[in-house]
Amino acid sequence: MLVMWRHISMAVTPATVADVPEVAERRGWLTVVGEFCRQRRLGAIGAAVVVINILVGLGANVIAPYDPLATDYGAMLARPSASHWLGTDAFGRDVLSRIVYGSRTAMLVGFACAFFGATLGTVIGVTSAYFAGKVDLLIQRLMDIFLAFPLIILALAVVAILGTGIGNVIMAITVPMIPRAALVARSSALAIREMPYVDAARAAGFRHRRIILRHMLPNVMAPYLIMLTAYLGQAILLEASLSFLGLGVAEPTPAWGLMLRGAAVQFAESAPWMAIFPGLAISLAVFAFNLFGDSLRDALDPRLRTQ
Amino acid sequence: MGKYILKRVLLMIPTLLGVAVLIFFLMRVVPGDIVELRFSGESAFAQKENLDNERARLGLDQPLWKQFVAWMSGIVRLDFGTSMWTGAPIIEEIRLRFALSLQLAIMATIIAVLLAIPLGVIAALKQDTWVDYAVRIISIAGLAMPSFWLGIVFILALLIVFKWLPPMVYTPFWLSPWQNMLQLIWPALAVGYRYSAVATRMTRSAMLEVLREDYIRTARAKGVWEKLILSRHALKNAMLPVLTVIALEFAFLMGGLVVTEQVFNLNGLGMLFVEAVAHRDYTLTQALVMLVAFVFIFVNFMVDLMYAWLDPRIRFR
Repeated sequence: MLVMWRHISMAVTPATVADVPEVAERRGWLTVVGEFCRQRRLGAIGAAVVVINILVGLGANVIAPYDPLATDYGAMLARPSASHWLGTDAFGRDVLSRIVYGSRTAMLVGFACAFFGATLGTVIGVTSAYFAGKVDLLIQRLMDIFLAFPLIILALAVVAILGTGIGNVIMAITVPMIPRAALVARSSALAIREMPYVDAARAAGFRHRRIILRHMLPNVMAPYLIMLTAYLGQAILLEASLSFLGLGVAEPTPAWGLMLRGAAVQFAESAPWMAIFPGLAISLAVFAFNLFGDSLRDALDPRLRTQ
Repeated sequence: MGKYILKRVLLMIPTLLGVAVLIFFLMRVVPGDIVELRFSGESAFAQKENLDNERARLGLDQPLWKQFVAWMSGIVRLDFGTSMWTGAPIIEEIRLRFALSLQLAIMATIIAVLLAIPLGVIAALKQDTWVDYAVRIISIAGLAMPSFWLGIVFILALLIVFKWLPPMVYTPFWLSPWQNMLQLIWPALAVGYRYSAVATRMTRSAMLEVLREDYIRTARAKGVWEKLILSRHALKNAMLPVLTVIALEFAFLMGGLVVTEQVFNLNGLGMLFVEAVAHRDYTLTQALVMLVAFVFIFVNFMVDLMYAWLDPRIRFR
């Protein structure tokens, strides 16, 4: 039976290819980027801030005026001044330098979590949609169980098991993201599953893995990219929350959420800069990611393109 | 419809059972147990015998499957047991905290709805004007600011501008509504802003989608009063997805506000959860997770029922 199907599909192939309308002309990525910037100003601004943020994170050792860990007991809780632009904290550490180095932590956690969360989730979601039936039902029920936990509670549970530290925090934030990504990817993949080219691939006798990886995954790229950008901001927020609770990145690593913890609240009245600036850094970074992500979604989602 | 409801209720059971299994074993994988934690304070060399006695008292010496079965059979009888750390019945431990979390969630929801629906509708009607851009930027900012940081900023502003701090000790609403409101309005605002941002965006996009529908054009062509078109034809149809995000966000607030509660020194479910995990209080953690998961699953179920009720096109098998 299978052999026969393969035979038929091969016979059909040339005709089908000819019938398929020219997909989209391939354009250079520079043209695409240029067009995006011209049509979506807000998105372009967001993207620019994201790029600056990444550069600041990468070049932290060059940009930061002080060592983020260096304590100066002569200048504890110092107001913002020419020597310490954003003031110092309770240990006399320069707030600006810690924010600059903190963007390294934030970007690392943000990109790692968004990448692993969206990718693993998409693979699971697409696989679930592809196999349908019992496998789909089983995977969906499993995802339902994870979804019933609030994001932060699941992350807290993972941190409790693994302990604090940047690698564990990345894991803790990625785990709750996976079922959410799987849900989105599955619903897009359900439609793709019904496409003639998937039938054709199956008829041609390709293995499941090949069909999933080569035929289905590339076609859920749009929701994947949208999720990726949306998760970046969420991961940064979640990392800040965990660090604020003392369950994220451990001292003395400079991290924005960690900077808001403890002394920042305790000395809030006398040294408000300690509480204000790291929060502004978090907000600005997430704001930029969301601005960019929103525009990207508008550009990629054909249903919304007309808006 | 009756059959559908029954089917959905029955489907909740395996999900809840899955949650129970997951949290039960997750907690056992967490290094250290409550007995070690309790004795660690007394001396570095606690007698092994004492540790074993304490474990036996808490039933931790039993095989895992026996512990699990005992816990499950309790739940079926709605008996959640006692907290391992305080020894108080779990229902007692949770009751007040639940009331606080529920009140905060309701207040945040009211704030969010009052802001989100008018803003979202205006943004959709004035699409691509400065009004729309302003609303979009305000709502993206709402998603970007951590609620707990916004809470810190509120406290700071009150302290610096008015030389006043909101009360840090919780007063139940029925004892003194005024004291209660003075304390809870700030966290409700901090959380409500983010919440309203989510709902505003949904309202805007749902309205935009609906406004392009044929029946709106028909109504306009018939010369129906524009205000009537908006309230009867457009808003009503755009409300479904908005209600969904509001409901899901509400479910998240019950137990998801770990950090904001910390900032405002509120003993809500989130704080209780953090404490329970820190103490390795298995029974309390498990009960809390089951409660939060149940709220979430139940809200989801209500959303689906609401869809069926509001949108007759949706047919359930």
